[in-house]
Amino acid sequence: MTQTQSPWRYVGIAIVLLLFALPPIWLFLSSLKSQSEIFQWPPSLWPQAPTLQSYYDTFSRANFLLYFQNSAVVAVLSAVLAVTISVMAGYALAKFRFKGDTVFFLLIMSALMVPLQIVLIPVFLVLRDLGLLNTLAGLIIAPAATPSGVFLMRQYILTIPDSLLEAARIDKTPEWRILLRIIVPLALPAIGTLLAFNLVYRWNDYLWPFLIITEQEKWTVQLALANSVGRFGIDWPRLLSISVMSVLPMLVMFIALQKTLMNGLMAGAAKE
Amino acid sequence: MANPVQTQPAPRRWSLGRLGRVAWPYLLLLPTVALLFIFTIYPLLQGIVMSFFTRGIVVVPQVESTHPVFVGLDNYTHLLGDKNFQVALLKTIGFVVVAVPLQLAVSLALAVLLAPQSRVNAFVRTIVFFPSMISMLIVGVIWAWLFGRNSGLINYVLSLFGIGAVPWLEDELLAQIAVVIVWVWGGAGFNMMVLIAGLTAIPSDLYEAAAIDNTSRWRQFTRITVPLLQPSIVVVVVLGIIEAFKVYELVVSLTTGGPGRATVYLIQNIYETAFRTVNQAGAAAAQSVVLFIILMVLTILQLRFARKRS
Repeated sequence: MTQTQSPWRYVGIAIVLLLFALPPIWLFLSSLKSQSEIFQWPPSLWPQAPTLQSYYDTFSRANFLLYFQNSAVVAVLSAVLAVTISVMAGYALAKFRFKGDTVFFLLIMSALMVPLQIVLIPVFLVLRDLGLLNTLAGLIIAPAATPSGVFLMRQYILTIPDSLLEAARIDKTPEWRILLRIIVPLALPAIGTLLAFNLVYRWNDYLWPFLIITEQEKWTVQLALANSVGRFGIDWPRLLSISVMSVLPMLVMFIALQKTLMNGLMAGAAKE
Repeated sequence: MANPVQTQPAPRRWSLGRLGRVAWPYLLLLPTVALLFIFTIYPLLQGIVMSFFTRGIVVVPQVESTHPVFVGLDNYTHLLGDKNFQVALLKTIGFVVVAVPLQLAVSLALAVLLAPQSRVNAFVRTIVFFPSMISMLIVGVIWAWLFGRNSGLINYVLSLFGIGAVPWLEDELLAQIAVVIVWVWGGAGFNMMVLIAGLTAIPSDLYEAAAIDNTSRWRQFTRITVPLLQPSIVVVVVLGIIEAFKVYELVVSLTTGGPGRATVYLIQNIYETAFRTVNQAGAAAAQSVVLFIILMVLTILQLRFARKRS
């Protein structure tokens, strides 16, 4: 596109920056205010006496570290599991011709049309029958199969030349070694992207924990958050500090993997 | 074991190795297919079956009223007289009709504004995309704080212009508008990136030719950009509609469905029918089936539309 940078363009960009940067920054600034300053009217734009009191209170009163740990365990294990089985399934669909391959492909893809939201009750019952209610294992296993992940891996593995696999087979390399030593290293960029996406998705997920977990010791950060609202009178200092802390890991990851996350998105625009 | 000194060629046997080779792709697919079957396909079928029964969520043998009773289409016909369901359905449709086009317009404006390669634009794109990285719950918290009647930044800014405190989240209509605004804000960055990817694929000589002909910017936009961007626009609209029909998480932290039931949309209504009322699992399942059919029809229609155009 040819574009001359007219002054109006800069005005537009400034407004966009304000609209998108200010809300999260305001949340952060407010979390640094003292109990009294937080509700002061007119609000102070910059914290007059910045304090970490809200954070201290959150950590000392609520079991926040525990929720953080639960979220981390679930996000990491669940993302690793999801990526592992996506690589396996994607490899099978990309590089093997077998009876029913198209049927399997369509079956997996059609699951995209069934969001968790419309199968809440039956999924709840399945989880109960399998003894997975109120377990972190349930949170890790139940959402692990992702059609979009399988699709992403299949598309990527299709670009790996068949000749590499044939050469290995002539050398009588066992199949599992072909997967681990040839496919996985060559598909690392896609694996990285998918892993990053799954980490974000699992960390931010609310619906699965909401369905599976009721015991407070097993809450994730998102559940703790949701339970800080909706009750009578919101404890704003606490809610603001929990929100900021729950965003921090995503912020760090975003800064580190910004390119991967923003461009990788295009590859699998069909997010869940 | 095959004997190496056999004179006649042995018939091909199902050795372990050969069996392994045939079974290998199926083994690779097994975890994904099994999990999808257990947690998606089977529940979908069970949900459809459940919608023809009245029952409790959990069937307790000792409690007669929780036992499944076949009622045919009763759950569906009851939905016709279910005020909560109808209001939630209409509100959800209204939300989709307002929020999806608005989000498309905003994302498109952002994409056109920020597509040119420059350092400033790359930075601003990052900022706009950031809300896509955080949960909709947090997005709701951020905006609930901004919308606060006597503590929010928005009302403070308005007060500088002499406008009195606006009850953003306490007024039925304003609360619904707030949900739309926040939903659009939260998803704009993602859609902007999809559209920018489409924009960069448009050959630049088209614009150069248009510039030589003195075609106005607006005409360039409507005659070149929009038609050539159509595949990306379809993606944004389809995903947007599907996401908008499932709006819920954002509402949890922004309004919790209030004031009253002003921002209770379908998903929350299904959940409340199932878990907050007694022995209404069948009714909730029927509502889910209705939503499933809506989503299916929309997906198929959009795919048809996209195929016809291309």
